[in-house]
Amino acid sequence: MRYFVLLPEALLVALAIVVMVAGRFGWLPATSRRWLPLAVSVLVLVALGVELWAGALVGTFFGGALVSDRFALFAKAAVLLTAAVAIATTDWTAEDSLFVGLAMPLLAAFGVMVAASSADLVGLWAGLEVAGAASVVMVALRRPDLSLRLLVAGGIASALVLVGLAFVYATTGNPNLSGIRAVIGNEAPALPLAIPVLLLLGGLAVRAGIAPFHVAGLQVGLGASPLGAGLIFGTAAVAAATVGIKLTAALVAIPDVYVPWVNVVSALAMVGGGAAALAVRSPRPRLAYLAVAQLGWVAAGVGTHFRSGIGGSLFLLGAFAVAATCGPALLGRAEGGEPAIHGFGTLRPLRAAGLALAMLSLAGAPPLAGFFGELAVAAALAQSGNYVLLGLGLLGSVLAIAAVVGTLRVLYIQSPLEESRRGAAAALPAVTALSTAGAVVFCIVIAGYGVFGNSIMGLADQGAEALGLR
Amino acid sequence: MTLLASIVQASPTPVPVPGAGIFTSPFLLSLLIWVPVFIAVAIAVMPNPRGRYDVLMKQIAFFTMLGLMFILFIAYNQFENFLPTMQYEEKVPWLPAIGVTYHLGVDGPGLVMLMLSGLIGLASVLASLGVRERVRTYFSLLLLTQASVNGAIVARDMFVFVMFWAAAAVPLAVLILGWGGPRRTSAAWRLLGYWGLGTAALVVGVLALYTLAGGQTFDMDVLLKATLTPRNQVVISVAMIVAAATRLPLFPLHGWVRDVLAEAPVGVAVIVAGATTRLGAFLLLRTVIAAEPAAGHLLSPVLAALAAMTVGYAGLAALRATDVRHMAAYLAMVPGGITVLGLAAVSPLGIAGSVLSLFTGGLAAALIAGVCATLAERAQSRSLAVLSGLAPRMPNVAWLLIIAALALLGVPILASFTAEVMTFFGAFKNQPIGAFAVAVGLAVSAVAIATLLRRVLFASPNPDAPGVSDASLGETWFLGLLAGALLWVGMFPGGPKIPGTEFPLFDPGLLNQMTAGISDLASPYTPPTPGGVTP
Repeated sequence: MRYFVLLPEALLVALAIVVMVAGRFGWLPATSRRWLPLAVSVLVLVALGVELWAGALVGTFFGGALVSDRFALFAKAAVLLTAAVAIATTDWTAEDSLFVGLAMPLLAAFGVMVAASSADLVGLWAGLEVAGAASVVMVALRRPDLSLRLLVAGGIASALVLVGLAFVYATTGNPNLSGIRAVIGNEAPALPLAIPVLLLLGGLAVRAGIAPFHVAGLQVGLGASPLGAGLIFGTAAVAAATVGIKLTAALVAIPDVYVPWVNVVSALAMVGGGAAALAVRSPRPRLAYLAVAQLGWVAAGVGTHFRSGIGGSLFLLGAFAVAATCGPALLGRAEGGEPAIHGFGTLRPLRAAGLALAMLSLAGAPPLAGFFGELAVAAALAQSGNYVLLGLGLLGSVLAIAAVVGTLRVLYIQSPLEESRRGAAAALPAVTALSTAGAVVFCIVIAGYGVFGNSIMGLADQGAEALGLR
Repeated sequence: MTLLASIVQASPTPVPVPGAGIFTSPFLLSLLIWVPVFIAVAIAVMPNPRGRYDVLMKQIAFFTMLGLMFILFIAYNQFENFLPTMQYEEKVPWLPAIGVTYHLGVDGPGLVMLMLSGLIGLASVLASLGVRERVRTYFSLLLLTQASVNGAIVARDMFVFVMFWAAAAVPLAVLILGWGGPRRTSAAWRLLGYWGLGTAALVVGVLALYTLAGGQTFDMDVLLKATLTPRNQVVISVAMIVAAATRLPLFPLHGWVRDVLAEAPVGVAVIVAGATTRLGAFLLLRTVIAAEPAAGHLLSPVLAALAAMTVGYAGLAALRATDVRHMAAYLAMVPGGITVLGLAAVSPLGIAGSVLSLFTGGLAAALIAGVCATLAERAQSRSLAVLSGLAPRMPNVAWLLIIAALALLGVPILASFTAEVMTFFGAFKNQPIGAFAVAVGLAVSAVAIATLLRRVLFASPNPDAPGVSDASLGETWFLGLLAGALLWVGMFPGGPKIPGTEFPLFDPGLLNQMTAGISDLASPYTPPTPGGVTP
């Protein structure tokens, strides 16, 4: 019974393997296209239910390699909900393979779960790689050239992360995060430690696609299928952010080795993401840049290096995961640029509402999920006296909201394209009962995140406390 | 002067009002916020094939606003003006980890703002009944805007306040982009830019206050009573002034107002000029004047200067305008300047005048913006070179334009007269130079208004002008509502009484209700001792 808490992970992996194998060998009937996404989505929700029920148990597993605490509970619950909603909202006619398309989000979520519950450096790295590999596979289905590019960029990122992890291990003599924290507590900040930490966080920044390291991931995401783009902009970034939060919490005793770097990156991401979102017009790049900007807020919270800031980051990360992963899935094909979504609000009202809420939440518009998270981080920034970063973040948010208003105009004000001019690149998403229900659930999650903010933020705060922060 | 001072004193004993107590709800203020939100969502998801239910949606929006007005009227009648405390309070912990509570409540000034918001909301829906395209989206956004204004007025937690304050910008920008005039894109971006700057300043100010007050709670009951050093008070107050100046707007942060009020559809121009902009002055009252006494006194000359520059600039710009809607937009800035002048006085009379001016100024600004938009629509031109001698051909609009002009200038019988007298009497004592400068600005505005009336209404008709037709009663009753409210409060500031008695009829009087809490706001200022403790 003790290992019951790992059932969600087991369920996800088993489900992914079964779906892939059954699809590969044609064991499933042709009608499975109709019910398989629903079945997978429901099973992921079951896994979420198990996680919320059993995840309250605090303990360690496999000789201390995995830990079950409030941080793991929060991150795992967020990523499971994200996976379930993303699978439900996806237009499966726009995906290249139903079976691989269903399996990869599950594996990416599994990667985040491993990273979230990992207690040592190896587990963190493994979780990060699993989530990254799932994204590469999704892209390879449509654009092998881009997947190769993502693989190379991911390889470079992995190399940086591994070099950094190796140096941290060499410096502290301990692969365990709590051990590292104990050793670091007695160390003074020094250049020999700052350089590997810089490499480590640089690798994570490439993985997360945060500015100014967003170029590779962003371009790849633009060529991927809708769900593939969601995995790159959302779940893979969440995996990197989860690893980043856990590592910085271990190094919190010597913030000088990472805080300046994190602050610079977060400032660039918040302002650059908002400005770039305003500069582009196509919906998918705009979503991508909005995600970059919000990830900058997450990093800003990490840079405060105290409990309320990291708790705020975690709270925001939950909102980010849902919006950034499901946003491209809600958008569907829409590869024909802005005209593809002209009048989307009339033609596909629920999807359009979901897309609008995803963008507004990523921009930090009130009263949606992202707003509560960003203001929680902003409060932490004010408490740490970092008003410059706060001001830059607010500037980025204003730019991002202005960008989203441009998309809202296209969604709701412009007349739809004539059917004769609507090519395959601008094909409308298919309407199914599942995708409709998925869009409704997505809207409820994004609009209700603040309503249930009491318990969600409470859990995020406990998650930060579980990392040993005061 | 004694007479004027006496009317700002709260009534010492409650006077029973017929109808009081017929409806009570512990969620009265929440209803004002969330009913329009739910109706907006319901309208947005209602199927409307080929605009088949457009009329139904307009009716739903209208009856929602009417229902809100009914709730507000009950709240107004049951409000106990002898209590200086917040009333209809709701308090629920929301995000305890960072100290956010869902805390709502109103005092006298809040009640005045709510009445204004209700009237303006109703008028904006009435003004929008002519909308033909994308009716579902339009009324959803209008209801969301109304909800955000109501939320900002009743919020007693700074986090909640910021949320509602910022929430109005997106629906308004989309409304302008979707249903605005030829320069709508520029108008919408300007609105987002200036309001975004203001919101950023507000967030910085609120978070600084939160941090300095211990970082435990965003509740206004704690934040606005925190003991801060004068330096910190000034820093926070400057952020609040920037936020307020972008919203009200005050010179030099007024860059959005001309385009927005000139390009927005009539209903949107009414709600922007009448309600959302008044939140700027409301913010100043709540934070700078009521909460930061040292900064309030130190910065009061700055506020007076901003008021004078705003009124003066508005008058001069209106004089130079060649577009009737641009002129209306500039003239709509004038009441904001007068409100701020009253706040700058930091005296009971000045503040009371300001609070009343929030109401009358909102109505007057909405009236001038609405009547000029209607006039331009019916005359098929916005150019002042074309519009000439319209009074004989547009008598309804002409009368309303005259009332709007008189309301801006504050002539007797209209409520703005009482507000301006109280404001100027309060300000001449404490801010004589500022008050004189505002008076000069008001004189310039009077010249601009006179020019507008002479040219547009009473000059010889322009034979080359496109055909004009008077607005029907149906098209102008939203303007009649605004003008009627100005007249009613002007004639019965203390509410009508049963003849021969002191018992009020259905209206206890706006002036009586608004005084609750003002004496606290305007309590005499005592400079802090060097130790930071106020004796």
